[in-house]
Amino acid sequence: MSTVPVQPVSPLPPSPGPDSPGPDSPGTEVSVQVQALDYFFGQGDLQKQVLFDINLELHRGQIVIMTGPSGSGKTTLLTLIGALRSTTAGSLRVLGQELVGLGNRQLVEVRRNIGFIFQAHNLFESLTAAQNVEMAVELTGHLRQKRQQATAILEKVGLGDRVDYKPAALSGGQKQRVAIARALVNQPQLILADEPTAALDKQSGRDVVTLMQQLAQEQDCCILMVTHDNRILDVADRIINLVDGRLESDTNPQQFVETHTVKSLDRNMFVM
Amino acid sequence: MPTPLALLNLIHDRKKFLTSLAGVSFAVLLMFLFTGFQNALYDSQTQLLEQLNGDIVIINRLKENMFVPRAFARRRLYQAQSFDGVEGAYAIYTSDARWKNPDTKEARPVRVIAYNPADPVLPMPEVLAHQRQLTLPNTALIDSRARAELGPREAGVVTELANRQIRIIGTFALGTDFAAGNGNLIMSDQNFLRYFADRGPEEDERSFATADIGLLKLVPGTDVDRLVQTLRQNLPQDVLVLPKDGPEGFIRRERTYWEENTNIGFVFSLLTAMGFVVGIILVYQILYTDIADHWSEYATLKAMGYGNGFLFGVVIQEAIILSVLGFIPGFLISALFYNLVAGVTGLLFVMTLERVVNLYITTFMMCLISGTIAVRKVQRTDPAEVFGL
Repeated sequence: MSTVPVQPVSPLPPSPGPDSPGPDSPGTEVSVQVQALDYFFGQGDLQKQVLFDINLELHRGQIVIMTGPSGSGKTTLLTLIGALRSTTAGSLRVLGQELVGLGNRQLVEVRRNIGFIFQAHNLFESLTAAQNVEMAVELTGHLRQKRQQATAILEKVGLGDRVDYKPAALSGGQKQRVAIARALVNQPQLILADEPTAALDKQSGRDVVTLMQQLAQEQDCCILMVTHDNRILDVADRIINLVDGRLESDTNPQQFVETHTVKSLDRNMFVM
Repeated sequence: MPTPLALLNLIHDRKKFLTSLAGVSFAVLLMFLFTGFQNALYDSQTQLLEQLNGDIVIINRLKENMFVPRAFARRRLYQAQSFDGVEGAYAIYTSDARWKNPDTKEARPVRVIAYNPADPVLPMPEVLAHQRQLTLPNTALIDSRARAELGPREAGVVTELANRQIRIIGTFALGTDFAAGNGNLIMSDQNFLRYFADRGPEEDERSFATADIGLLKLVPGTDVDRLVQTLRQNLPQDVLVLPKDGPEGFIRRERTYWEENTNIGFVFSLLTAMGFVVGIILVYQILYTDIADHWSEYATLKAMGYGNGFLFGVVIQEAIILSVLGFIPGFLISALFYNLVAGVTGLLFVMTLERVVNLYITTFMMCLISGTIAVRKVQRTDPAEVFGL
């Protein structure tokens, strides 16, 4: 079992604005730092530990794919990093903010600096693509330029001509791209994605991850993606594998394939 | 301007939206109808009294309401007339009598209102127009809004009242109430004697010695309350002197009697409350469906960093939109129903601004309560649940 060595990190100012710190400001290199994290479901006699002593460090500009069998605690870890659950044991620093012991209200604040992409696009059918993206812009209070920002990011994801379409008039891949635009429009430094390609066909899935990769590089953010989709493992800079709530390996795609002899894997998939 | 998420979510599915509005309108209609009946029953009790042309009313102390057939000595009116500020004192005689429907020959009780046609007791244009003809023997005016059971309510009808022939020479529009039976007739005091002076051993004998309602018309500018006090001190205690209007007045007293001594209020309040509850359930269903349909979207908003306050706002906005847009058609249909029901029953259905505003506030509360129940569901949304859905 390999874990990332813990390095001392100078603390960031709490919850930096989405567009304030440049990529070269000091101390922003580490997006997520997890130390000795345990997590339990349930209470009392029914308590069940799902995460055991997780130590992990994610850096800016990296795409990290988290894999593992179902029930291994991937989603739980993702929701913990995403400030969607509160925990009390260990240490969990996200974008310089210690999440352990935070109240609900403060967790909501932290979430505003994180982009979320889900397996389902979760777009409001009643809103146009632009309006769906604008819902995210409104969180920052930039009401004036929200339309501009939404249009700009939709153009970036290749939907410049679909700005005023409602989700019903978009294909599955297009909808997922709108969802990505919504996650990225506030230029978060951390993006958490849960099976973003699972509902898409091969080509759309490939387009979506390529897009995420491009935007991650442009905006120098960190992407943590949970996926079972072997077709997209090649975009990762790191692959971490979670088994039974423990970090089992932390490698690059090349090594991952060598150590995990999965019959269904085709080596050609990982040619970059 | 923030994206109007509440409005867009509501109107996204046109068909569902219209159904929702129809539901709210229906609840509004129910409440309008029940409060309408309640008010109509009360309003109708006093509509004759409202028409009386006077400022002070004198009645027998035992006449608790218009139903009680207690007359008082007419000389009290002459006594009252001698006080400063009293311009005229008019005696009004009322009695119930059986009216024979000229078509079916069926007898129905009606109320006869009689006074000297020279006195301006009921200054309605139709009544004034027939002032001279009323002095002819065995004539009367009939209420065109009396119930249809009386047969044709028009001039020229010849039938029987209290077993004597009567000829209808015209109509007026008043409406029925509990004490009026099926409707009202207006006749001269002379004719009143012809019909009611001697109706046989089982009926009261009526004469000009007693009157049922005394009406005092004051010189303009007279202090009504002071004169009432003076009259109370100086007239014998067998009569009650009341101002016609005002919180202590004769009309208010009559209304209070019906409000406090009958079950009308309770029954119709109960029905209105049921309309209210039906509305709450309907609106709750609508809002809950919206939340259930957009479960993962709302959870996503929460994950993105929207707080419970925002979601609460969305649901409450939806409730308000429903209350406004559902109220308008509900109100219009109710107005139509009011006209229709008023025509059939002869009761007084009045849509006053105050009643409309009150009912809107009730509708608003209804939607707000539903919204508050429904919103608890969204607030329990755990944003972590959207992962792995």
